[in-house]
Amino acid sequence: MTGTVTIRNPGLLSLIVDPGRRGYSDVGVPSSAALDLYACEALYALLEDPGTAVIEVLGPRFALQFTADTTCAIAGARVKAFLDDIPLRPWASFTARKGSLLRIREVTAGFRYYVGFAGGIDIPAIMGSYTTNLECGFGGFAGRPLRSGDVLSLAAPRQTDTRIFPDGLIPPMTSPYLLRVTSGPESAYFNSDSLALFWGKGRQELFTVSTNLNRTGIRLQGKPLVFTADVPKSIISEGILPGTVQIPGDGLPIIMLNERTIGGYARVAVIVRADLDTLAHLKAGDLVCFALTDLEDASARWRKKCSLMKSFPSLCR
Amino acid sequence: MIIRRYSEYALRIIFGTQIDLTVHEQVRRAFYICRSLHHPDILEIVPSFCACVITFDTEAISYESLSGLLQEKLADLSTVEMPSPQLHEIPVRYGGDYGPDLSFVARHCRLTAAEVIDRHCAEIYTVYTVGFSPGFPYLGTLDETIAAPRLETPRTRVPTGSVGIAQRQTGIYPFESPGGWQIIGRTDTRLFDTGRPPFSLMQIGDRVRFYALD
Repeated sequence: MTGTVTIRNPGLLSLIVDPGRRGYSDVGVPSSAALDLYACEALYALLEDPGTAVIEVLGPRFALQFTADTTCAIAGARVKAFLDDIPLRPWASFTARKGSLLRIREVTAGFRYYVGFAGGIDIPAIMGSYTTNLECGFGGFAGRPLRSGDVLSLAAPRQTDTRIFPDGLIPPMTSPYLLRVTSGPESAYFNSDSLALFWGKGRQELFTVSTNLNRTGIRLQGKPLVFTADVPKSIISEGILPGTVQIPGDGLPIIMLNERTIGGYARVAVIVRADLDTLAHLKAGDLVCFALTDLEDASARWRKKCSLMKSFPSLCR
Repeated sequence: MIIRRYSEYALRIIFGTQIDLTVHEQVRRAFYICRSLHHPDILEIVPSFCACVITFDTEAISYESLSGLLQEKLADLSTVEMPSPQLHEIPVRYGGDYGPDLSFVARHCRLTAAEVIDRHCAEIYTVYTVGFSPGFPYLGTLDETIAAPRLETPRTRVPTGSVGIAQRQTGIYPFESPGGWQIIGRTDTRLFDTGRPPFSLMQIGDRVRFYALD
């Protein structure tokens, strides 16, 4: 049985994503992965369908209509969602009937949320992934954001038992956000007082998320980091990882997301992997502070988070 | 060669601190050696001007074991199977709407536009690395008499195929994207095709020569 969903309102921005495009960094192809992989994994557990293409949405008023009976789920930012005016429980799956309308009226905490369908969306994989490279216009739905009237084919719509993700495992999404970091390759480019204010325990400056943010990076405003006298203000371009905090000449941090393989600014710090999903929820005006930790602590947090995510299928009931 | 940790799951193999052909050749050899290992725990290898960044599966291998292995495998860079560099001849329409910054570059360098074009076409460039955006070749080394600084305010949209200059580098934008390089011309040559492996026309170590279309 086949079916479709029709986008009735894309919200501020909606894109097809998945856990990312892997293995082509050497020719400049970034992962373009879903920014909140924790929510994405929760969605997969709710739908019992790991790795499929899902929709990443920014902002309220997103709406879509079903042409087949299918199980659907929403996870990520806290939203007020309705199926034909019946309120839906967030971070849970539900069955939509043919003709019914899903609407998001409000985002109450966080920024990005994910909508997926049991059986997945039927679109071609480009270079091994369904995700959209928005800047270059490939992958996802014809390489572009979804628009009103777009029709997505469902690969194998089906109804599954509705499942609920445990409330206690939904992460808090409230400003100010704490981002743990390990020291980056060029941390020695900055004077020790300014580093202490940047990431020192109990001494940190709060940064404000600026309006200059997109899927590539997030610029922060606040007290600029100070370069030591004898270093250049840019580096010879080198590989860069998601979550790297770059400092350009003006001293104000840029957090890199999943869209670049190479960068030319000093990499002062790297956000620990266990905290990367938080970046999906930073919006203009939110407050952020950084806290230095070591690789051992970062690795332990990641192991714990990974084992939790692996247990999602058994934790949904 | 030194190996340094970058993050929980990444390391850097560093060969130098300058943009230089000898360093580049070491990076390129190391890249192909790492790739030939087909090591299941190595996730991505990103070569650049002076270093390779490698990400790895921390559940399967520790930083210590991987860096030890790489020290051993990269101790001798002289024997490595690599593709021979390809020479790409790139036709360019210089100036006008295609190259809105050609006149600035000429003024900045106290040359005529024709002299800038001649000098840009005279060199055979090396692809030092591919990145920034998919298939974008960082080409060196540009004749210093036509070197120009980056734009103070980057453009939000640079058209596909734009040929740019930044300091002693030149490059080609494979996709419409934001960009801060001085744009002197444009080519119709397709640099990246998601449907055709190896996807990127230019590979690290390839050579490029530009020629002017009327």
